[in-house]
Amino acid sequence: MNNSFDVLIIGGGPGGYVAAIRAGQLGLRTALVEKTHLGGICLNWGCIPTKAMLHGAEVGHAMRHADRLGFSVGEIAFEIRRLVEYSRSVSQRLTDGVAFLLKKHNVTVINGEGRLLEKGRVAVRGIDGGEQEFRADHIILATGARPRALPGIDPDKSHIWTYFEALNPAALPRSLLVIGSGAIGAEFASLYNDLGCDVTLVELADQILPLEDREVSALVQQQFAKRGMQIFTGAQIRSATVNGDRVSCLLKTADGEQTLEVDRVLCAAGIQPNIENLGLEALGVEMARGFIQVDDRGRTNVFGLYAIGDVAGAPCLAHKASYEGVRCVEALAGLPVAAPVSADFIPRCTYTRPQVASLGLTEARARASGREIRVGVFPYQANGKALALGEPQGFVKTLFDAQSGELLGAHMVGSDVTEQIQGFGIAHTLEATEESLHQAIFAHPTLSEAMHEAILAADGRALHQ
Amino acid sequence: MSTIRTLEIPKWGLSMEEGTLAQWLIKEGSAFSQGQDICEIETSKITNVLEAPWDGVLRRVLAQPGDTLPVGAVLALVADEQVSDSELDAFAASLNSGAPQPAAETAPSPAVTTSPEPSAPAAAKPAAQDAIPAALRGETDETQVNATSHALRLAKKQGIDLSKVSGSGRDGRISVADLQAAITAGGGSAELQARAAVKAKPRHTTQDDSQIPATPIARRLASQLGINLHDCRRSGSAGRVSRADVEALAALRGRGEQSAARTAEAVEERAAYDSQPLSAMRRTIASRLQESKRNAPHFRLISEVDLTRIQALRREVNSALPSLKVTLNDLLVKACAQALMSVPEMNVQYDEASQTIRRFHTADIAIAVALPGGLYTPILREANLKTVGAISRQLHELVTRTKAGTLKAEDFQGGTFCISNLGMFGIRQFDAIINPPQCAILAVGAAESRAVVHEGQIVARERLTLSLSCDHRVIDGAVGATFMQHLQRAIETPSLMLVEEARSE
Repeated sequence: MNNSFDVLIIGGGPGGYVAAIRAGQLGLRTALVEKTHLGGICLNWGCIPTKAMLHGAEVGHAMRHADRLGFSVGEIAFEIRRLVEYSRSVSQRLTDGVAFLLKKHNVTVINGEGRLLEKGRVAVRGIDGGEQEFRADHIILATGARPRALPGIDPDKSHIWTYFEALNPAALPRSLLVIGSGAIGAEFASLYNDLGCDVTLVELADQILPLEDREVSALVQQQFAKRGMQIFTGAQIRSATVNGDRVSCLLKTADGEQTLEVDRVLCAAGIQPNIENLGLEALGVEMARGFIQVDDRGRTNVFGLYAIGDVAGAPCLAHKASYEGVRCVEALAGLPVAAPVSADFIPRCTYTRPQVASLGLTEARARASGREIRVGVFPYQANGKALALGEPQGFVKTLFDAQSGELLGAHMVGSDVTEQIQGFGIAHTLEATEESLHQAIFAHPTLSEAMHEAILAADGRALHQ
Repeated sequence: MSTIRTLEIPKWGLSMEEGTLAQWLIKEGSAFSQGQDICEIETSKITNVLEAPWDGVLRRVLAQPGDTLPVGAVLALVADEQVSDSELDAFAASLNSGAPQPAAETAPSPAVTTSPEPSAPAAAKPAAQDAIPAALRGETDETQVNATSHALRLAKKQGIDLSKVSGSGRDGRISVADLQAAITAGGGSAELQARAAVKAKPRHTTQDDSQIPATPIARRLASQLGINLHDCRRSGSAGRVSRADVEALAALRGRGEQSAARTAEAVEERAAYDSQPLSAMRRTIASRLQESKRNAPHFRLISEVDLTRIQALRREVNSALPSLKVTLNDLLVKACAQALMSVPEMNVQYDEASQTIRRFHTADIAIAVALPGGLYTPILREANLKTVGAISRQLHELVTRTKAGTLKAEDFQGGTFCISNLGMFGIRQFDAIINPPQCAILAVGAAESRAVVHEGQIVARERLTLSLSCDHRVIDGAVGATFMQHLQRAIETPSLMLVEEARSE
């Protein structure tokens, strides 16, 4: 009976471990299978350690600009290994925290690699190679994703990196070429630039941060360029060849091809789901564009089998995985589940300098939807707190449906916007109209006043504009 | 006016006949306020808390924990401090004798009335009638007067002829206020108005209020306070019910306050064991199964069935369809459903109180699910009308919901037949106790390979022992045996599930 569970989850990332805690809370006998480290990529090689590194970059930036506040810092010495160690210690602390939480909620953690044997049965190959079998009424796949491979570019881990190496460099390279300017690529470009590296950013789409509102991307690109980054949009790296300690990259743009010589290349052109060696084919699990196909409660076509998070489709975000994990467990436990949040309204945060945060439709998509929309924009230059912080670059943009007053989109770029986007998320979840948001009081002096002003601006009522 | 009022076993559901007092939540002699929890009452289905219908002082406890009493039976007497113990004794005695309470004899004044009013028959006319002016007394000819129904009822109760009262309403309609005025004018006194005022308390709508616009906070608060959003004003933005609206209504009903702290349990002395008071669930199991064992004469029928073919069928289905994982239990449910349809005398509930047998048209089969805290029996309804696939999916969901504690009352109420499976523990055979009002239960052992004589040879076959317990009051041995024959046939010849009629006659 010890090998039998009500719920068994494969993958201990932010989808899997959260689902396990929820199942434990509901009194279900729960097991979590994890092959390397609890917390998954998010806690160990993603969200959290990058934020620790970016914190270091911010401190560097602040020190370099401390003179205008009267501080003479002198020459700044920097050892990247110390920053890496700091970042690793933060990850370790959180991973330990997850282990504690799982124990607290009576979740059995099984170390090893899980594989479906048949409906309701899983084999776990332990680190020692031994295999053990488990049974569960409900099996949830939460195996996540990994960096996507690009043709002509073979990440060799020494010169051509993925985010693993970028988070754990032996030394700071003099130059770095980043392929892909989504959240991961843009954050590393911003980080290494702030650490003093020559950064080149190459994006296939015609704007960096291709999922973001065009005006937001334009401001970030302008700020990146001002910081000395070289940026190519509508461009592609055809090949990357290691020559001694350098990498030759063949860059193709609209103007033709050229070769760029850099110390290191970071491949950040998207991710692909971890669907291999899970036994999916034998069970006849239906797929959709490489991801496991699920309904809005995470159910696959197979009896008692579910999938959540990155492996179940975009957007590949930790908070989306956690949301789906809780939802999936509550639904299978018979709790009422509300209508699902549309993928567009899952908040997106990018920790570049300036930061980017958004939810809902971009202005272009809102206009293309054929609705009559109202747009409000308010710049940080007119916000007292932003000026006091010396961070006047940025703005807040709101999009409302002119008829219903529904919030269609919110786009923020500037200092600390990632901490503020939840305000729009709450408003949207509670189906607030622009009218009800007008009445809310935003404290002074805060950056969030720009949110209020952008809401008012959509009705032509901004007070400081 | 000092009054003795009664707290009674309420009727919480159509089928509720009696209730068992589980525990008093307030002590004799203590005052309580409207809405406060008074005591826990268990029925065969639930344990519920009796809330005070009004303010009062619990003067005399008449029922002790464990007492099972019919609906309407008096649990306790409620009266002000002025009412003397002897008056209470007399009142209690009148309840026991079943006679109309001799209020006038024991206490000329103040008057004693029982409440709620509907339980006070006309014969128990209160002494308050003395206060009605003689000029008004008489009987009202209801066809001849124009009065509100409330006024009519009060007049009848007080022995007043309404034709002697003048009405102030439209077309001279007589209201309670008119009646009151007439009594006062005639030099009498009555508390009609006070009662009317009590009656005029805020509405208690019970219809679904999910359509009423309300802020999320207001909706949650209302549900916590048992307030229907229909009854609230809507002062929030966009015409929504706001938190303030719900709180206003709650204040009006006097339910916002915290209920008084429950009495602390006496500290047990250290002993060689831990004393655990039975949980409500444990108590329910204990009382129901005790009752079953005591009242229902159980007899048992045991047979062994061959699983070779039904297991082959199961494997075939499971390997052909990713979307299904049929278990032996799912197939047993289907086989039982079919056997119940073939032997409708088995598909019954026994209503002991009315001495009737309820014969059901569908096979609503309960499945015993063991949890650390006790046993649940969620019901798979209309199993006879469902495919094995549908039974499998629903049972899977039902079992998980049972474990997660998200079953609703309707998920485990009713049923005619129960299946209890201890096969996963390796139990070969056992006897189960019937879960009333069901009349039979099937105990399923472990499927295992056994040496049997098959076509003249001793061979190993996968076999299963089934033990059926029946309530002999309503199911005879031959009926149970016929059922077991049908069940065995359904299990050993599973292809019959494809062709047999799923409905009873």
